[in-house]
Amino acid sequence: MTQRGHVLDDTWYLDYATGALGTEAQDVMMASHVELSGEARARIDALETFGGGFLESADAGSGELPFSADDILLRDAAEPAVPDQEDRPAAIGVEDGLPLPEALRDYLDRTGTPVRWGFLGPGLRKAILWTGEHGERLWLLRAQPGVAIPQHGHRGSELTLVLKGSFWDGDQQYMPGDVEEAHEGVEHDIRIDEGGECICLALTEGKLRFDSPLLRAFQVFTGM
Amino acid sequence: MTHGSDRVRSTSDTARLAGLLDKVGRNRDGDAFRALFDHFAPRVRSFLIKRRVAPAQADDMTQDVMLAIWRRASSYDPAKASAATWIYTIARNVHIDHYRKVMRARKVDENDPQFLPPEHPLPDDLYERSEASESVADAMAGLPDDQKEVLRLAFTEGLSHSEIADRLAVPLGTVKSRVRLAMNKLRQGLGEWK
Repeated sequence: MTQRGHVLDDTWYLDYATGALGTEAQDVMMASHVELSGEARARIDALETFGGGFLESADAGSGELPFSADDILLRDAAEPAVPDQEDRPAAIGVEDGLPLPEALRDYLDRTGTPVRWGFLGPGLRKAILWTGEHGERLWLLRAQPGVAIPQHGHRGSELTLVLKGSFWDGDQQYMPGDVEEAHEGVEHDIRIDEGGECICLALTEGKLRFDSPLLRAFQVFTGM
Repeated sequence: MTHGSDRVRSTSDTARLAGLLDKVGRNRDGDAFRALFDHFAPRVRSFLIKRRVAPAQADDMTQDVMLAIWRRASSYDPAKASAATWIYTIARNVHIDHYRKVMRARKVDENDPQFLPPEHPLPDDLYERSEASESVADAMAGLPDDQKEVLRLAFTEGLSHSEIADRLAVPLGTVKSRVRLAMNKLRQGLGEWK
């Protein structure tokens, strides 16, 4: 069965491909999405081909560069390469089998960010990975099969990328690699698929309407 | 506009560059790397300068990009991308890393010359000077001027879609719809080429 994946507005792909996203959290979210979604990868491939075209057409100039190819080769011999992934400390709290995209795992490793799961509501756990200056948050959501998150709205926007399992919002199903972009004021009616646990990476820009505390809205969650 | 002879030359040039990068990856071939360096190092530097990187920084970052090419060439797959496309992604990532470091290190002063647009407007026909990227130029040529302008600002200056809206003094929704229209057309156009 083929299903067209849920993708984002084209400006997200353009900003990612040109390197113009506003925060590292957006970079991580988009890189994870592109890693998991063929539709997203195809968009980025086309845009990066374009980037190559613009690089190729950049003025090659006539002046001498103040360094040569041999300087680079000397530097390679003199400087140790950045250690491989195996040599880096693993992210804290990432148990084996947690389906994290490479881009997210790299970010956690590089920043030493632990994944610490906390209670969010019945059948729901969260792990905040990053909090920005303006209240933005990058976080993981882990939900038990069949959990329902009844109608709620957002103040600010939110991207939710499925890493594992699936959820429904109304009659739309979101599978691994799919992203849902929730805009301010949009009402949601989320149900986690009965088939298994669902893990999502979410990026919340601005505050959720029921934000203080976040738990308040989740108190009305019904379990399975 | 692209002439027939240019097209032949550029196609073979694209293949030559891909072959050089492949040789660096497979054999750590120093001569292939020197040839790649001669072609790409000045372009990477100029690309960074257009993105408002100060010249001294651009020199350092170009060296970082070239070193990354040398070290990571074994992951290059000529079947998947041209050398220019692969190197573009490295240059972009080196630029992002640098930019993020600057952002983290200090509260960014928006008047820092690094973050201001260049004083001289960039030539609109930049992409038309390309030799190896004629398909990109062809794809661009089929777009209305307002869509071309958006892509040019995005790729050459590295502006985000909201910065483009500010620069052109048009609503965000206008930029979004131009991007959507342009990308629909490019997806069709580049599909065959890739």
